[in-house]
Formats: sequence, C-alpha cells, structure tokens
Amino acid sequence: MESAQFSAGAPATIGSRALITRVDGTRWHAVEDDRVVGRGEASHRPDGRVFLSIDTWLGAVFDRLAAAMLADLAGPVRTLVDEADHDITSRWERAGLAVRRRERQYLVATDPPATGLDTAPTPSGVTILPLGDADERPLRELYEAIRAEVDAGPGWDTMPVEMPPRPAGAPLGASTYAVAAGADRYEGLARVVARRRHARIGLVAVRAGQRRRGIARALLAEVLGGLHRGGIEAATADVDASNSAATALLGGIGARHVGGVVELGRG
Amino acid sequence: MAKAAGAIEVRGTVVECLPNAMFRVELENGHKVLAHISGKIRKHYIRIVLLDPVLVELSPYDLNRGRILFRYRT
Repeated sequence: MESAQFSAGAPATIGSRALITRVDGTRWHAVEDDRVVGRGEASHRPDGRVFLSIDTWLGAVFDRLAAAMLADLAGPVRTLVDEADHDITSRWERAGLAVRRRERQYLVATDPPATGLDTAPTPSGVTILPLGDADERPLRELYEAIRAEVDAGPGWDTMPVEMPPRPAGAPLGASTYAVAAGADRYEGLARVVARRRHARIGLVAVRAGQRRRGIARALLAEVLGGLHRGGIEAATADVDASNSAATALLGGIGARHVGGVVELGRG
Repeated sequence: MAKAAGAIEVRGTVVECLPNAMFRVELENGHKVLAHISGKIRKHYIRIVLLDPVLVELSPYDLNRGRILFRYRT
C-alpha cells in the first residue's frame, strides 16, 4: 500500500516520463514537461557519512530517483525514515538499502514521584553536581575519555548523538551538563538542552569502569528534578533500539516510546 | 531552467500528530491539511511535535495534502 504522501491526488500518468538528472554533486531532479516533479539530495555530515533524501509526490518518481542516486554514488550511503512509514522503508529496501539500526524516541515525565526518581539513591563515592556547577577542566577530561571509549568500541555511527572533537580551549558549556563527581575525577555526565516548554536529554554517559552502580539513574534524577522545578513537565530522549541498558534505564522511570526513525544504508 | 511543479508554501501550526508519520497542520488561513515530513528535514533529525510552527508545501495535486519543509524555532 502506498503511503499517504503518494496518494495525494496525482494522476497515475504524471511522472511516468520524468527525466532524472544530476544537477550537481549533491542534487538530483526529476523533470517532466519542464517541471520538477521530484528532488533528491545527498548531505555530507562532518564525520564523513552521506545521507540521502528524496521529496516527491509520486511513488514512481521516488523509485527512479533512488535508483539514479544509488547508481551515481559509489560509496556507503544512508538514509533516515520514520519508523511508522513502512512504504518509504520498503521503497529504499527495493532500491538496494538495508535496515542498519533503529532509533527510538522516548518521552519521560519530569515529576519525581511519577518517575520514581524521588527515592533514587546517590551511589557511594560520588556527588551529583547540577547543571552549571561542573568545572570545565575535569568535565573536558571526562568528555574526551567518553569520546575515546566510543571511538574504540561501538563507534558514533551507532548512536543517536555525536560528541564532536572540541578545539583546544573551546568551552564545553558546563551549563548544559550535570556530572557525577568522584574523589579525584568526574565519572559520568548528562547533557540536557531545555527550551521554553520542552527539554531534550542529549546524552547520558558513565565511564566504563563505573557502570551498573546507579550513576546514570542518579544523574537523571538530578536533571529531571531540576527541569520539573523550572516548570518543564516532560523531556525527550533518543536511544538506539539495541542499547538495552539505555532502554532499561528509561523504561524503569516510566518513559514512553513515542516514535523513532529507521536508518537504512549500503556499504 | 525547470521550475518546481506548482509549489505553494504556507505557514501553519501542527495541531495533531497522526499515525504513519503524518501530521494535521492548521494553516494561517484556518484551512487544515494532512502533511508528512520532507525527506530533507527528516535527514537532519529534526523532530516535529504538537504546536510546532512549520512551513508547509501544498501538493499541486490536492490542496488538502502537504509536506513540512521547515520547522520554525519556538
């Protein structure tokens, strides 16, 4: 069955004669009767990954643009599709891409009694510092250590977020980080971005040797409680579906799965 | 140079999040359309939530359908 975007009243004959042309290195057009009836684009992320997108009202044009783009681009490519859009997912699969990972979006209440975090104990040996209280130097040391752990392990391409390298001397922005401080270094961090009526938990990370002690839960208790006191009722978090520790952490505080994306790729 | 096929762009507000990655958007003139997220916006991990102000391109084939091109900052 075609998705709603391809059943928007277009006559079946439209798009059947569309000519696909590569406009430049990153853009493709489907043109019929001197009109653009579809567009494709390849975006290069700072880490080198190439993501494709197609916009058209016509399913047949989508398929032809996808085929042309994948033929023109030799290397690895990816695309993102809403997890509920099975039609577009199928079309990319027919074009030659395969599902690589799934990312879920969760919505979590900030009210401590609702999350059960009002009774979350702080693990022994650490102190949770609220947003803005972290010192820049040990925060940067933790940031770099976590970057190195992920680089050496699963890699950032398996994660919903990326922690880009920071130029020497550039501030991290301690106001968006809560940290778990140990005796002589920081052991974990949570990054939160709050807007007027909404907040996003961008990252929760704990050093490899300090996991399974409740540090991440204590960090969430701090940041969610702070948001609640600031009048923000809910926050979102994006999690790779295969990250069982993260999904268990969020599930344990009553977070609801509210959506997500599928990443498809080749190479 | 070929031009876009009847591209009509209108500002609106997301008033309902529907299944199958669709949204109900109320346009500035009060008209409501059924809209999906453009591939370009999805590629950049931009999330659309209730009450987001958005820019919608209406379908040249059905003015009750649209594509969300841009989410304005709130």
